[in-house]
Formats: sequence, structure tokens, C-alpha cells
Amino acid sequence: MPHRKERLLEHGYDEIREYDNPTPGWWHAIFLGSIAFSALYFAFWHGSPMAWTPQDSLAADRTAYYARVFRTVGELKADQPTMLKMMADTRWMEFGASIFAANCAACHGAAGAGLTGPNLTDDRYINVRKLEDLFTVVSEGVLPKGMPAWGNRLTQNERVLVASFAASLRGRNLTGRAPEGEVIPPWPTFEPPPPAAP
Amino acid sequence: MSTTLSAAPMRSADQPHAAGGHGRGPLETFAYDDQIVRWFLAVTVLWGVVAMLAGMVVALQLVMPDLVPALLKALGLSEASAATVQQYLTFGRIRPVHTNAAIFAFVGNGMFAGVYFSTQRLCKARMWSDLLSRLHFWGWQAIIVAAAVTLPMGFTQGKEYAELEWPIDLAIAVVWLGFFGLNFFMTLLHRRERHMYVALWFYIATIVTVTVLHVFNSLAVPAAPLRSYSVYAGVQDALVQWWYGHNAVAFFLTTPILGLMYYFMPKAAERPVFSYKLSIVHFWSLVFMYIWAGPHHLHYTALPQWASTLGMLFSLMLWMPSWGGMINGLMTLRGAWQRVLTDPVLKFLTVAVTFYGMSTFEGPMLSIKAVNGLAHYTDWVIGHVHGGALGWNACLFFGVFYWLLPRLYRTNLWSTRLAEWHFWTATIGLFTYWVSMQWAGITQGLMWRAFDDSGALAFPDFVETVTKIAPMYWIRAGGGLLFFLGMLMCALNLVMTWRHRSADLSDTVARAPALGPAEPDRVYRSDLQNVIGLGRVTDQVTELTWHRRWERLPLRFTLFVALAIASASAFSLVPMFAVRSNIPTIASVTPYTPLELAGRDIYRAEGCYNCHSQMIRPIWAETRRYGEYSKPGEFVYDHPFQWGSRRIGPDLHRVGGKYSSDWQIRHLENPRSLVQGSIMPAYAHLLNTRLDFDAIPATMHAMKLVGVPYNDQQIAGAVAAAREQAGAVAAEVKAAGGYEGLDDSQAIALVAYLQRLGTDISKPPPAEGAAR
Repeated sequence: MPHRKERLLEHGYDEIREYDNPTPGWWHAIFLGSIAFSALYFAFWHGSPMAWTPQDSLAADRTAYYARVFRTVGELKADQPTMLKMMADTRWMEFGASIFAANCAACHGAAGAGLTGPNLTDDRYINVRKLEDLFTVVSEGVLPKGMPAWGNRLTQNERVLVASFAASLRGRNLTGRAPEGEVIPPWPTFEPPPPAAP
Repeated sequence: MSTTLSAAPMRSADQPHAAGGHGRGPLETFAYDDQIVRWFLAVTVLWGVVAMLAGMVVALQLVMPDLVPALLKALGLSEASAATVQQYLTFGRIRPVHTNAAIFAFVGNGMFAGVYFSTQRLCKARMWSDLLSRLHFWGWQAIIVAAAVTLPMGFTQGKEYAELEWPIDLAIAVVWLGFFGLNFFMTLLHRRERHMYVALWFYIATIVTVTVLHVFNSLAVPAAPLRSYSVYAGVQDALVQWWYGHNAVAFFLTTPILGLMYYFMPKAAERPVFSYKLSIVHFWSLVFMYIWAGPHHLHYTALPQWASTLGMLFSLMLWMPSWGGMINGLMTLRGAWQRVLTDPVLKFLTVAVTFYGMSTFEGPMLSIKAVNGLAHYTDWVIGHVHGGALGWNACLFFGVFYWLLPRLYRTNLWSTRLAEWHFWTATIGLFTYWVSMQWAGITQGLMWRAFDDSGALAFPDFVETVTKIAPMYWIRAGGGLLFFLGMLMCALNLVMTWRHRSADLSDTVARAPALGPAEPDRVYRSDLQNVIGLGRVTDQVTELTWHRRWERLPLRFTLFVALAIASASAFSLVPMFAVRSNIPTIASVTPYTPLELAGRDIYRAEGCYNCHSQMIRPIWAETRRYGEYSKPGEFVYDHPFQWGSRRIGPDLHRVGGKYSSDWQIRHLENPRSLVQGSIMPAYAHLLNTRLDFDAIPATMHAMKLVGVPYNDQQIAGAVAAAREQAGAVAAEVKAAGGYEGLDDSQAIALVAYLQRLGTDISKPPPAEGAAR
């Protein structure tokens, strides 16, 4: 920019004077640039068929997530063999543990030893007689007892996994809330399927 | 470009060619009202100490949630009395005290001190009415005291920075426009300086816009002397609130402070202002563009996308208009830099303008949707506002005060050394605060969205993300403490300077000629050759000399400002009210029951929205953590909306049915008995406080007036219905092994409300023809 001698404006206010300097060139450039960018941005996001919404991104993330995470298992059945298989798989139990931490630990305690909800680490159960009952209790809740229903909140796979994780806590016999309900038979042992025929 | 100026008269009907002379009348002698400036300055320092003390309390409560009850017990109170007093001092009650004191008491009074000092001198006139000045002073202090009493008691409209209840809102409107505004504009009309200096433009914009913002955001229907309900609901309420909220930042915390900068910076530096042209361009662009920026507080919420996008884009476009002020401030220091090294006044002013520049860069950056997706609901935003409030506003005030004190008390500043200490304490404290909150915010934002290898949330337990940033909370408290200590140094300097004041504090006498008929303005006429007419017009317009004429017409200038902000407001707000498709209704969403309404009042009174959002964004990690994202149609009966702006605790929009009522009661009584590491205050008193069932019909009447479809029959049966539902919830608590006898407690109403939150969407729609 060529040197330009600064000129004071004639007026003054309570002895405050002002220069007649032009607005800086870079200032103009960025200001006009931001206006141009804004026009283009708005035109694209609210006028172009190629634009997408946060809801579109969410749906895509959800689809990609299920494809990635549950690719190997598909939709899990809420039956005993499936739950036993999941309980034997450390990776799936980590997944179940995360769901448990997010949703169940508040009432059943971080380790499952019970707070306002029952202790899950002993052999006594209130509404569970067999393994699959855990899934039913998670899904439908036991409303009079304060157990919420998770059917609307968690997907089938998540409920199977968190029920399996809760089942896996049995036998740790942690000190916490006193055991409630009746002693029920131990969970069946997991028998891995025979290797596929060659 | 040529800079030829000609004295050709403007063609104008209302400004006829001046008849003779230089437009000057006889010389007059008058006195400036300095007392009112001294008063405002003193209360600014007082309220500054109070605001920062409240800030220290809330900052420490986040790392020591049982701080207040422990202190009370240490003071000798019994367990029961400590619990009783504690209910007035929870984070949710004191945080609004802190924000209101900082904004309206500290910055408000500081602004008035500067405006009263500079306006008189820029107009060469005493304030029009000493009575109005004093009514303004005492009225404003009374409002502050009313706020300091009602907020801890839980009287709040439940909208951030607009918490004060309707009688106080009315008083604000009267004091602001009726006393301050009237006095200011009458002074303008009785000025002895022909043209208005840029500082006055900013004051005009402040007075006009704050009036409009305050009135429209506070519109509410009263149900009791200190209880009212916003006329807007849900998405619309959110939009109006953040139109207000962001422009409170713009027109309460920025434009008046810019006005002060334009007066005190050249005064203190004894240097001319860098560019008059820049003043014009950045003033008008700020006034027009700021209004649109509010929706950047609502990115990824249930607000329609077009509004969100406009909010982001206008925020980006505001970057340069804001920096225009910074450039004019810093460049005015050219030739005075050596004095910046030694003079605490210039040091504070320099830091203030620098922080203004940094905040107005950080702001547009935070308004970019992708950045906001990470930063929203985190402490990054808390850091950002303190960069503005402490770095820009407070530091500018400190500079102005140290410049004013010797002049107002006609003596030397008691201790320049102490002012120097204040400067370094404040600056270090400020940086510590700012950086620790950015760190905390980014850390927590990243933890919320982190997934582990199994595909599950890496930090599913919300409280983990809180305990992780506790060290940053400690550092923030340290930074805040340093800034607070600096404030105390400022107070000491004020008191000691006052004690050493001159015996003669009579008003400053000045002399100036009265204004005669206007002389023509010197307007640039383009002398470009060989261009089309449009070229010459462009040349004339961009030389900006036409603006000189506006500067001597205060009413017209005010009208133009009002038109700018009104048209921008209309464009950005009206479509939300006019276009039905912006808020698709959901058939299964029905109004709250009487008990839930009462519970909602408790939620609002306790200030739960200060820590909990009720707005799940359509972001995958967020829907994993909290459930289905929030839809606009779910909030149509929410007067006021309670979306919140910060997640110190988890989002609550889908908390309904997530925990048992028994759990909720125990959690309210003592959160740490169920959630280790929780920093939520204990609300044990809610279990022992009786709910005022008889107040519910008045609430429903007010709700009906603002459009919630309650019929007379429902209102008549409200008390019975509420008691019945309370009995059912209490029975549920008891059946689950919880406490007994809670039937008429406030806690039961609050739990009923919490259990309802976010559940309507998964219910079947009501049958056709069923009573709504």
C-alpha cells in the first residue's frame, strides 16, 4: 500500500480528534469475503439437492454403526443359547458393561451390588427364574418395584447384551444390598457349538 | 481517490441554509454533573465485588458440592438449620445471582458511570435532568437489591440472564427507558456540540435495542405477584430468548463499552482516533448484523435449520465489524505505546481491547456448526463469556476508573503501584480462567462423543466426564480468585482515593456557545472524470461524508438505528411465528397434568436449567447416551422452554421413566448416596416442604391464557387431580421400598414432572374425538 499521509479531520469533540484514514484493505477483503461465503453457504445448504441435514447424518451414522458393530451377529435372539454365547465372549461383555454403566449402574450400583435396585451378584432373584427372564425384566420392567422398562430405549441387541452382562455378574457375591427373592438354579453351562463339518 | 471537500449546502427541507455566522449562539457557562458519575462508579466497584464473590461461591460449589452446608455447620448452625439455609444457596439459585450481578449490576453501573461522564462532555451540556439522573441511580440500585433478594428465594422466569420476575421487569423498563433513556435523549437535544461523536452513536444503539430486547423477551402472563409464564413456548421461546440473550451480549456488554472505549481511549492516550470512516462502517454493520446472530446458541437443537444457519452466518460476518472496533482502539495507541508500558490506565485499556479482539474471533469460531457441536453445553462457552466479561468489560472499566478517579476526586490516585498490581493479578487470573475452561470444555466435549473399540460409549457414566475436569475447575477457581483479589485492590484504591479527595468537589464548570441554526455540512462531491453517474454516486457514498449530516440529527439517527434493529429482528423472528411447518406438531404430545405443572415450577425455581439441558441433539453419540433426539413438537406446551445451555449434569429430556421414582427421591435427598462423584446439590428440603396445591389453578389459568388447551373443567378439578396423582407417585415410591408420607411434598411433584419428561413421543396418539 502506498504511503499516504494521515489527515486529521477538522472537527473535535471534547478535544478528541479523528483521522480521516480509510478502512484497511484486508479488513474490507475479509468482510466482503465473509458475506460472499455466507451467500454461497446458505445457497448450498438450503437450496441444493446435494445438501444434507443433521438428521441425515444421524441416520447414516446409525446405519454404519449397526453394520460395523453387529455385522458378525445380526439381530440377537433373546433366548438362552444366544445369551450363554454372549456371556462367554469377553468383547460382547465389554459392550454389555458399557450399556450397564450408562443405564443400570445408577440403581444397581457400578459393580452390580445393588443400591435402590437389587443386588445382581448373588443367587437370589425376584422376578427371574431362568436366563431369558432377565431379558423380559429389562424390556418390560417391573414397574411396581421401580424397575423401568427399556423396550423403548434400547434396541433388541442392546437388551440381550445388557441382560447377558447382568447375568454374568451372578456368583460374584459382592457385599451390597442384602439378597432378595428366591435362590434359583444356576445358569446352564455354555456349550460351544461343534465345529462346522468340513 | 480524491478527497476534495466542498462546502456545498445539502439539499434538505428541514435544515435550511444557515442564516449567517457559524451556527453558533451566545457563549454559555454551565456545570457537568460529576456527582452522579462518582455514585455510579462507587456502586460499580461494590457490585463488582459482590458479583465476583458470588462467582467464587459457584465455582467452588462445583468442586465442593457440600461447601455451603459444611460452612454453615462450621458457623454453628444445626444440621436442620443448615439444610434450611442451604436451599437458598444452591448452585441453581446462586448462579443467576452471579450472572445478573455481573451483567446488570457491575457492567450496568460501570456503563452508566462512563456514559454520564462522557455524554455531558461530548454534548457540552449538563445532563438534562438531575432528578432523572438520581431516579435512574436509585431505581437501578433498587432493582439490583430486588434481584439479590428474589433470585436466591427461587423467584425466576427461568430464562437465562432474564430471570427477574415481572414486577422487576416492569421496573427495569421504566428505569431504563423512562429515566435513563429520556434523560439521555433530552441531553442530546439540548447539546451545544453540533455533531454527535461515535461514542454517542453506540449509546443510542444501546438504549434503543436493550429496550426492545427486554420488553419482547420478558412478555409473560402473571399467575402470582412473583410468578409468571412466558407467552412463547418451546422452540419460539428459545428463539426469542437467544435473540435476547445474544443481543444482551451485543447491546449491553459490547456497544456501550465500545462507546466508552471511543471516549476514554483517545482521552487517556492523548492521540486521535485511528479512522472515522471505520467507525461509521463498523458501527452500522454491528447494529444491523448482531441481531441475527442469536440462533448460534441453538445449533443442532429443535430449531429449524434455516434459523440455525442464519445465526452461524451472521456470526461469521460479524467478525470484521467487531474487529473494526478493535482496530480503531489499538491503532489509536500509535504514538503512545511507550506509555502503555508504564501507565496502568493504558495497560488495562490495551488488554481490554485485545480481549475484545480475541473474544470476537472466538465467538464466530464457536458459532460454526461443527465447532459448536463439540463446544455447546461445555465449559468452553463459560471460558468464552468470561473472556468477554472480565477481559473486555471489566478491564476496560478498570482502565477508565483509574483515569477517572483523580479527575473526579481532584487528587492523585492513592496508589499507582496498587493499580499496577491489580493489572497483573487481573491479567494472570483472566488467562488462567480462560485457558482452564477451554481445556475443560474441549476435554468434556470429546469424552461425551468418544466410542471404544467395541462400539460402545467410552465414558457411558456421565459423572466420569465431570470428575475428569475437576482439576480444571480448581484451576479456574484459582484464576477467579486472582481476578477477585484484583477487584478488592481496585476497591481499596477507590476508598483511599476518596478519603484523600479534594475539599472542593463542586461540579466542573465549562463554557461553550449555544447552538445556533445549523450550518451546512461539508459534503464530498465526486470529481471523478469519465465515469458513469453510478460511479460518481458510489464514490460519494463510499467517502461517507453524507454521514456527517446524520450525526447532527439525533432523533433521525435514533430512528435509523431502531429501523435497523427492528427490521433485522423481524426478518429473523417473524417466520418462526408465521410459518406453521417450522414446528410440526406431534399428536401424542399433550399438556402437563396439574401436578407436573407444579413440579415444573419447582424445577424452574430451583434453577435446574443452570446445569441440566433438556435438548438432545441429533448427534449419534448423544442419542446413544440419552435416547432419541428432541423434536420441536415436543415442546409446544413448555412455557418457558427449559432447554438449558450447559451440561454440568446430564441431559434430562428423556429422563422420564429412566429411573424409579424411589431412586429420584433418594437422589434428590442426597445425590452422592447413589452417584459417587456427583456434584449436584442435595435437595433434601424438597422432601419436607409442603407443595402449595392451591396455587395450581392460577398456574393453569395463566397457561390457558398463553395458549395451552386446558378447559375450565380441568382447572376446576386441578387440585383434586394433583392430589390424586401425588398419592399415586408417593404410593409407587413406598411400594419400591422408599420413604412414606411424601404425598404432599414438593419432591413428589418434581418427580412427577421428571417422570413425564420426554415420554409423550413414545405413547400412542390419542384416539380420534377423545377430549384433548
